[in-house]
Amino acid sequence: MQERKLEELLEAVFAEREQGRAEVDGVLAHAGAHAEDKSEADFVELESMGLVRRENGRVTLTEPGEKRARDVVRRHRLAERLLKDLLELGESTVESQACEFEHILSQEATDSVCTLLGHPPTCPHGEAIPPGPCCSATARTLRPLVTGLPHFELGVPGRIVFIAPKFHDRMDRLAALGVIPGSPLRLHQRSPSYVIEVGETTIALDPEIAGEVFVKRV
Amino acid sequence: MTRNPPAAAAQSERLDKELREAPRTVILVGNPNVGKSVLFGALTGKYVTVSNYPGTTVEVTRGSAVLDGSPWNVMDTPGTNGLTPMSEDEQVTRDILLWERDYACLQVCDTKNLRRGLLITAQLAEAGVPMVLALNMADEAASRGFQVDAPRLAAVLGVEVVPTVAVERKGLAQIQAALPGARPAKLSVRYDQAIEEALAVVTPLMRETGGLSTRSLALMILGGDDSLRAHLEATLAPAEREQVEEARRRAASRYPESLRFVISKQRLAVVDRLHDQVVVRGARSAASDLGRKLGSWSTHPILGVPILAGVLFACYEFVGVFGAKVAVDFLENQIFYDRLVPWFEAAVRFLVPWKAAQEFLAGPAGVPFREHGGFLVGRYGLFSMGLSYGMAIVLPIVATFFVTFSLLEDSGYLPRLAVMMNKLFKRMGLNGKAVLPMVLGLGCDTMATMTARIMETRKERVIVTLLLALGVPCSAQLAVVFAMLAGVSAAAAAWFAATIVMVLFLVGWLAAKVIPGRGSDFVLELPPLRVPQLGNVAVKTLARIEWYLREALPLFIAGTLLLYVLDRVGGIAWLEQAAAPVVVGVLDLPRQAASAFILGFLRRDYAAAGLFLHYEPFVKAGTMTRAMEVEVVVALVTITLFIPCIANFFMILKERGWKTSLAILGFILPFSVGVGATVNQLMRWLWL
Repeated sequence: MQERKLEELLEAVFAEREQGRAEVDGVLAHAGAHAEDKSEADFVELESMGLVRRENGRVTLTEPGEKRARDVVRRHRLAERLLKDLLELGESTVESQACEFEHILSQEATDSVCTLLGHPPTCPHGEAIPPGPCCSATARTLRPLVTGLPHFELGVPGRIVFIAPKFHDRMDRLAALGVIPGSPLRLHQRSPSYVIEVGETTIALDPEIAGEVFVKRV
Repeated sequence: MTRNPPAAAAQSERLDKELREAPRTVILVGNPNVGKSVLFGALTGKYVTVSNYPGTTVEVTRGSAVLDGSPWNVMDTPGTNGLTPMSEDEQVTRDILLWERDYACLQVCDTKNLRRGLLITAQLAEAGVPMVLALNMADEAASRGFQVDAPRLAAVLGVEVVPTVAVERKGLAQIQAALPGARPAKLSVRYDQAIEEALAVVTPLMRETGGLSTRSLALMILGGDDSLRAHLEATLAPAEREQVEEARRRAASRYPESLRFVISKQRLAVVDRLHDQVVVRGARSAASDLGRKLGSWSTHPILGVPILAGVLFACYEFVGVFGAKVAVDFLENQIFYDRLVPWFEAAVRFLVPWKAAQEFLAGPAGVPFREHGGFLVGRYGLFSMGLSYGMAIVLPIVATFFVTFSLLEDSGYLPRLAVMMNKLFKRMGLNGKAVLPMVLGLGCDTMATMTARIMETRKERVIVTLLLALGVPCSAQLAVVFAMLAGVSAAAAAWFAATIVMVLFLVGWLAAKVIPGRGSDFVLELPPLRVPQLGNVAVKTLARIEWYLREALPLFIAGTLLLYVLDRVGGIAWLEQAAAPVVVGVLDLPRQAASAFILGFLRRDYAAAGLFLHYEPFVKAGTMTRAMEVEVVVALVTITLFIPCIANFFMILKERGWKTSLAILGFILPFSVGVGATVNQLMRWLWL
């Protein structure tokens, strides 16, 4: 089986599981464009390679399969963040390019992108990005271009690159205060609450919400 | 229940008449903390009413003004950041704009925050609302080096733009002149194709409501505004609703973010372009820097603490000591008991010559009123207890609190207070805003329960109400607590304090887990610190006191009436009898404690009750035994955890409704006794 097709299928199994589904039909329906003439027979092949298990029409990942799937998903979603938030490309370009990137980025390049973006927790669609080795705190040697507010310097002018909220309405609430990606920002203090200045507006934030705001220096 | 005191009634009748006669309305709209209410005060003058918007606890202020020779209604709305509401306050503003007819808007904008102001202007323009834009606090903006080219902005928007300094009444005349000629602003936002396509489907389906255009309604619907659901269900056929939903889904699937966010973002893009055209930035002045420094010190993790302590102490001194002790003593004893009650009694005896009726209303002649059961003057008399309770005990606390609250609000310190306290209150499932009702509770829990309204979600309001009733001792309870703790050892006092603090945190934490719903996100705007305008504080305070008299006073009268009946049928003696076995058997307390609990709850007379007299000789002689100290701690813990008074319970009933109130009562009754019993056992085991 072609490398790309294999990765697309594993990715689809992973994504379907996030939605709480594992039916073979569903996985096939959702697998990406690179998996041409996909069929149930492909899973038989994947099973023989030791990457998936099949049981009464359901398909699950084995341990090696899980690892490969995680990496593909991680590359795809990091690419989305990079293309959308940093390069500000349109939605359709982001999607098609991310689908390419997920197959070609090396481990090293992936971790660099992840660091560059400040180890984002989610993709622009709100799905979790599986963390890589670079994401644990001890491994932070590279200076990231984009950081979460908790790691941003005090008093330095910055700009919001993206907001990755746990709840959508948080983003709406921030938008009503004029806080959106692209807004200039200055961090005043981290404790007892985060205090930021956006334009002439001073806003206090919970640490939890501050962790969801990603900024870069300007 | 909505009886007005005569003066207020005459005033509101006069206002009602003026409002009926006025053909047009001007509605003030703007972001929070931009000086709307000051401008409102300057426009309207003396006669102002504050009332709750129907079905909510949000205050709306109404008044009248004469513009261009004819009378106008003027309405002040809660501060908002847009027409798609994120909170109850914002929904009230939106609903007013939606349902009122034939009005003009006066949008008040903080000049230095023009960007956020224009975000509202863009929405008012979409809604086709005739408006005038006031660029308020022009002086503050100038001192920050912020200049707005008002004529240019007016030319682009096609409406009058007036720079104002509301507190100095600058620009007022121009606003008065401009309002009759208000017209819709020209600031149209063209959205992405996907959104415009959806709008093309949804807009024609919307019905005119009076206030806002169909395009603006359609945008709210696309933004997923749940507060319009009922309106949609009432006006659209199921097939049409399905069309709307389908259009919304199709547009939403094009963006990773919520549609509401995408709409805000595209609006902001248009606003930013306009903003950059009309704003010129210069250097800041030194004065504005001082204000900013003070502002940042007040939330500083270290410097902020003494400031916080100072402010809380000042609040407590003013409300808790001056209001709740000095003023209450004066009004209750000097005015009511020494003068008004005897005068009133004499008047009753003079006006009602029949002996039987006299005795029913004012008790037998020559007997002190606390020792008989007269209907108007007596132990539970409507005048001697109900009115004196509401006017002499609670009113001074309410008045001093409202003054404090308005000062904190207008100075901009209130949200900073919340910032400082946020971490602490997070542990109780609340956020920093809860500090205010909690501190107020030390003065009067009944009042504090009313101010639980400042919390954003129902869940937080219920938790605040519960914790107030349970663990925050009011001034009457505190008086007894301090008096009794002075007579016991420091260790015993520590047992008491530790128990109460532990209970507060434990119950808060548990309540946050048990009560359904989500706490509100702590995203709070910190306005610059300013010197409060005394005139504005006075107007707000008076309007709120009038509101208190209308809303809360009837509760005290009703509570008294209930007590009167209970007393007459022997219910109070029966309650004491019923409580005695619990007090003696479960809490190991002397029998007199039962009447302390019952009378404390009913009459706020903790100190007068026998229990404390019981220990007094021992305290004086220094012969308190450890066992007695345990009794004192157990009694104090139980009294503190118990609901402070019957008026508090009525207030809970009024604010939270039957179900929640009964749940709170059903929890507190056994819980306070249970904690008392546990402390009793623990102390006897570990300490005795």
